[in-house]
Amino acid sequence: MTGRVLHLSLDLLDRQLRDRDGVECGKVDDLELTRDADGQLWVSAILAGPGVLAYRLGRRRIGRWLQRAHHRLDPPTDGPDDADPTRIPLPLATNIAANVDLAVNRVDLATYATERWVGDHVIGHIPGHDHDGGDDAPSQ
Amino acid sequence: MKRLLGVFLGVLSAIGGFVDIGDLVANAAAGARFRMNLAWVVVVGVIGIIVYAEMAGRVAAVSGRPVFDLVRERLGPRFALANVGASFFINFLTLTAEVAGVAIAISLLTSINYLLLVPAAAVLVWLVIWRMPFSLMEQVFGMLGLCLIVFAVAVWKIGPDWNQLFSAAAHPHVPSTETPFTYAYYAIALFGAAMTRYEVFFFSSGAVEERWTVKDLGENRINVLIGFPLGGLLSLSIMACAHLLLADAHISVGTLDQVALPVAMTLGKVGLAAVLIGIFAATFGAALETALSSGYVIAQHLGWPWGKHLAPRRATRFHLVIILTLTGGLLFALSGVDPVKVTEYSIVLSAAALPLTYFPILVVANDPSYMGTHTNGRFLNAIATIYLVILLVVALVTIPLMIITKAGQ
Repeated sequence: MTGRVLHLSLDLLDRQLRDRDGVECGKVDDLELTRDADGQLWVSAILAGPGVLAYRLGRRRIGRWLQRAHHRLDPPTDGPDDADPTRIPLPLATNIAANVDLAVNRVDLATYATERWVGDHVIGHIPGHDHDGGDDAPSQ
Repeated sequence: MKRLLGVFLGVLSAIGGFVDIGDLVANAAAGARFRMNLAWVVVVGVIGIIVYAEMAGRVAAVSGRPVFDLVRERLGPRFALANVGASFFINFLTLTAEVAGVAIAISLLTSINYLLLVPAAAVLVWLVIWRMPFSLMEQVFGMLGLCLIVFAVAVWKIGPDWNQLFSAAAHPHVPSTETPFTYAYYAIALFGAAMTRYEVFFFSSGAVEERWTVKDLGENRINVLIGFPLGGLLSLSIMACAHLLLADAHISVGTLDQVALPVAMTLGKVGLAAVLIGIFAATFGAALETALSSGYVIAQHLGWPWGKHLAPRRATRFHLVIILTLTGGLLFALSGVDPVKVTEYSIVLSAAALPLTYFPILVVANDPSYMGTHTNGRFLNAIATIYLVILLVVALVTIPLMIITKAGQ
């Protein structure tokens, strides 16, 4: 099996994720690596969401706490991975360049949970929240 | 023709938007205390901000990505986190100072105690962010800020000995009543006021908000190369007014009305009205920029949807951060902190933290994978590197100087 060889920390980690509509949906907080039968390491999934970055930077307790809080706040529904919503299997990444483009809708990702919560509980209650504040920019 | 008008408006906005409460306080205080002996710092600062903003704008236009977005992926999450922390905190101080400045400007016009006006100022700032389109916002407040030209008019009206004025500026020395330490401290304050960082966050995020592309690079350069030096001249006018009218009378600048005093003395009621409108516009514009910057900093670091061009429903956390930061600033201002002191701290700390955002921009501006063929030329790199060294030196000496001079006493 051959695939693209990347310098993970330079070219993949901490890159901006964009969903299938081109909207920002988090950063590549961490990566899941799998070793195949020949001992070769492959990137099998992108990890992004509450607690993942903290975990990667060594703040494990904060990371786990954030993950559990998020779980309670927004239990996984039909995300790309039901058991772990922060896990985005790599086949869903359609392009890896300056950004990483994903073939999913952002609302199915763990990174969207707090956005939805804030929208429902705070911003949604302020009049004018649907008003496009831009000039000629198309609203999403 | 429409293009020309756009460029013209851009330059005017850059001039009017250059001055904020930091420049008002720093230039007036420096002029009153050091006369024209710190004028050269403004020149150095203006060249610095031109280099910095041109790179930031070019990076945003070519790569489509603004500052904090790139800091994390280029320099790693740990550096980025430290950067975000420092930037957010200093930005918060600046925001508080600007909101207080808006309240003070209104209070000088209406004679209502400024503390009562702080909540109104904060809410007004939020409303404009919530509803007013980005470029309209920039243009309105940029243009109104041009009222500050009244400082230049005042200098001309005073009719000083121009030769003496230029000679004093061109031959700086430490006045006998001051120490080299206070001189250096004020130099750093002036430098920080000229090279305002939030301006750069705002500039590069604004470029993405307005969907700049390679075609807009020329316009960006004109704005920066004409607008900023003229803004610098405005700053020097503020300094000259203080030098000519406050220094001899031993009036030190501790409040905003003292900044406006020379204009009132020279041009009477009309001048005073103009300067107060100018101060209101400059501080309001800066409050908008710092409030938005607080959102940009956090949202871009964490990869959230962000931007004024999006309906708030489409960028909920971005707007929540702005609301919370404005509320925090409002509360901090209401606690009775001296807004001029907060301003001084914000510009000095801002100067010290400049390398944190300057270095990543310099790195990315030279990276062909983001910039294609639009990387820095050799001449620009030479100047930019000199400035990096200057910024690092400033960063190193700021805190010691703050301690030695007890924040400029």
